[in-house]
Amino acid sequence: MTLIKDPLLLKKLEKFKSIKRGYYSLVLLTVLISLSVVAELLVNNRAVVVRYNGAIYFPTYGDIIPGKKFGFDYDYEANYRELKERFKNEDGNWLVMPPIPFNPYENDYIEGSYPPYPPDSRHILGTDASGRDILARLFYGFRIAIFFSLLLLFFSYIIGITIGCLMGYLGGRFDLLFQRVIEIWSNIPTLYLIIIVSSIVAPTFGVLLSIMVFFYWVTMTWYMRTATYKEKAREYVLSARALGAGHRRVIFSHIIPNTISVIVTFVPFTVVAGITTLTALDYLGFGLPPPTPSWGALLREGTANLGQQWIVMSAVSAMILILVMVTFIGEAVREAFDPKKFSFYE
Amino acid sequence: MGKYLFRRFLLMIPTFLGITFMVFCITRIVPGGPVEKILAEAQMMNQGRASGSGGAPLSEDQINELKAYYGLDKPMIEAYFIWLGKVLKLDLGVSSRYSDPVWDTIKDRLPISAYFGIMTLLITHLVCIPLGIVKAIKHNSTLDNITSIGVFVGYAVPAYVVGILLLVWFGSGLEWFPMGGFTGDDFEDLDFWGKTKDLMNHTALPLATYLAGDFAVKTFLMKNTLMDNLSADYIRTALAKGLSFPKAVWKHAMRNSLIPMATHFGQSLGLFLMGSFLVEQIYNIDGMGLLGYESIVERDYPVVMGVLVISSLLFLVGNILGDILVALVDPRVRFQ
Repeated sequence: MTLIKDPLLLKKLEKFKSIKRGYYSLVLLTVLISLSVVAELLVNNRAVVVRYNGAIYFPTYGDIIPGKKFGFDYDYEANYRELKERFKNEDGNWLVMPPIPFNPYENDYIEGSYPPYPPDSRHILGTDASGRDILARLFYGFRIAIFFSLLLLFFSYIIGITIGCLMGYLGGRFDLLFQRVIEIWSNIPTLYLIIIVSSIVAPTFGVLLSIMVFFYWVTMTWYMRTATYKEKAREYVLSARALGAGHRRVIFSHIIPNTISVIVTFVPFTVVAGITTLTALDYLGFGLPPPTPSWGALLREGTANLGQQWIVMSAVSAMILILVMVTFIGEAVREAFDPKKFSFYE
Repeated sequence: MGKYLFRRFLLMIPTFLGITFMVFCITRIVPGGPVEKILAEAQMMNQGRASGSGGAPLSEDQINELKAYYGLDKPMIEAYFIWLGKVLKLDLGVSSRYSDPVWDTIKDRLPISAYFGIMTLLITHLVCIPLGIVKAIKHNSTLDNITSIGVFVGYAVPAYVVGILLLVWFGSGLEWFPMGGFTGDDFEDLDFWGKTKDLMNHTALPLATYLAGDFAVKTFLMKNTLMDNLSADYIRTALAKGLSFPKAVWKHAMRNSLIPMATHFGQSLGLFLMGSFLVEQIYNIDGMGLLGYESIVERDYPVVMGVLVISSLLFLVGNILGDILVALVDPRVRFQ
């Protein structure tokens, strides 16, 4: 009753599962990504559920609920942390706060002292120089970075696989032309050009993504070209052609399924590249504009305030953790999809 | 061999033209060039002096003069060929920010980046090749697994994060090393040993940062290719004929395993001589990387183009050098 019937693929999946560190990294990362999708329920200054005078409210998504509704004397958004304190003395009213009751944009000032605040029971990882909770910023920063990488992966692979496959399949002049284009493209200092462009166009998520895709498709194209070349020369392609299969059919139902192992192997490394580049741009101040929560911005702030080591250490640890996990997955995928078994005689 | 090299050098030309032309066009198309920068500055000064007087801060003639000075008065293609003609005469132009010849600036910065590049290449090859060999032969041993952790982290984490981490721990926390710069303030007054010590002290952290990234890639490369070769049939044959295992590794597997390392050497040469602007920025080292980065931020386009010329030439020459090295270690490759 499994979805996958292909015995070869099943064997590869079995092999992947048997590589423990890669498998558990994948499980953990999937959990983290799923949790980050509903980050508003986990890390937020709005309560998840409020019961007030018999009515039930879900403030997380949707418009702000003015303080007056909950018996405060102001019209701006209710402060749910204060509300929780108040509800302790009120019968029948209760609310559930997210595990981390802070918003990544919120400046939390403690009376009598100035931020950044070191880690304590209120802010588990402390706050940055403007009093924003670091854990909240790390979590939202992770969501942006990982989805940026996944989208980068998706678009650059679509372009890369299309052009690479055509280069390998058509060969000839088309191949020669794109070979030169790729040679030029890969010699241009990508990060420099992104900096030039993003210092003119306001770098929103979409703009930054398009610029990155514009430069990243090259890598996949090159590998796809080589893989297609190899597959095209195999007998099964010839026999498919002899049986009367059209080019479209040969490419889509014969060549691409056979190059899937090449594609899959590079996925984790593209994710690493996406996270790394976005963080580098944010670190230099050419990434997403402030106050967007990002790891790069935390790194920059941390290196500017080296006396407050919790800022920089939190960002560095988060990066090491995620990147090492993705690399573990990558190595496991590579091993699972590699038909060779290393063995030698002594 | 001469003919082959000649052809390779000829193939460099279209690539070089393509790279420089593309970046040249971008610097032209993108707004915010040097003239606009001067105009903006003049506008600010004007407003400061007599607010409300209005009007353009510079006359049409002055703007045209400025454009001619920076070579912006000609159409893009023509301007590119004028620039190219100058480059062929080894004239990289004059910095629009400091009015210094670009080549002089590059000459000052290149040795600093080259110091790190050459040191990194030396140390990684001296460490990674033996380590890779040991890891391949003792695959899945305790030593292999323990070193793998370090290599994995170095492989996964980008150099700038390693740099920041080292700076936080050893520069700021333990205060073992200075926080940045290439040499100390009193460098000129020191004797030879003092100079060496000062240089070592200042460059230890950035060097470790460069090493961390390159180290991992090279060790993996060495280990994986050697393991590939060790499981190949020809090694089994050699062993079956009675050759001892160490001899089979040294005489047969090693030579084949060095081929990818040779390719990699050529590629990393250009990269290392140019330095990484992220690492140079973190440690405040005035190398080529930082020069390129600053010139882009400041829109100093002659310097941008100058750095690009040097970096793309180094990169292309590095690739050819890699091919020559491959041909030296791989008897199957012939120069044709």
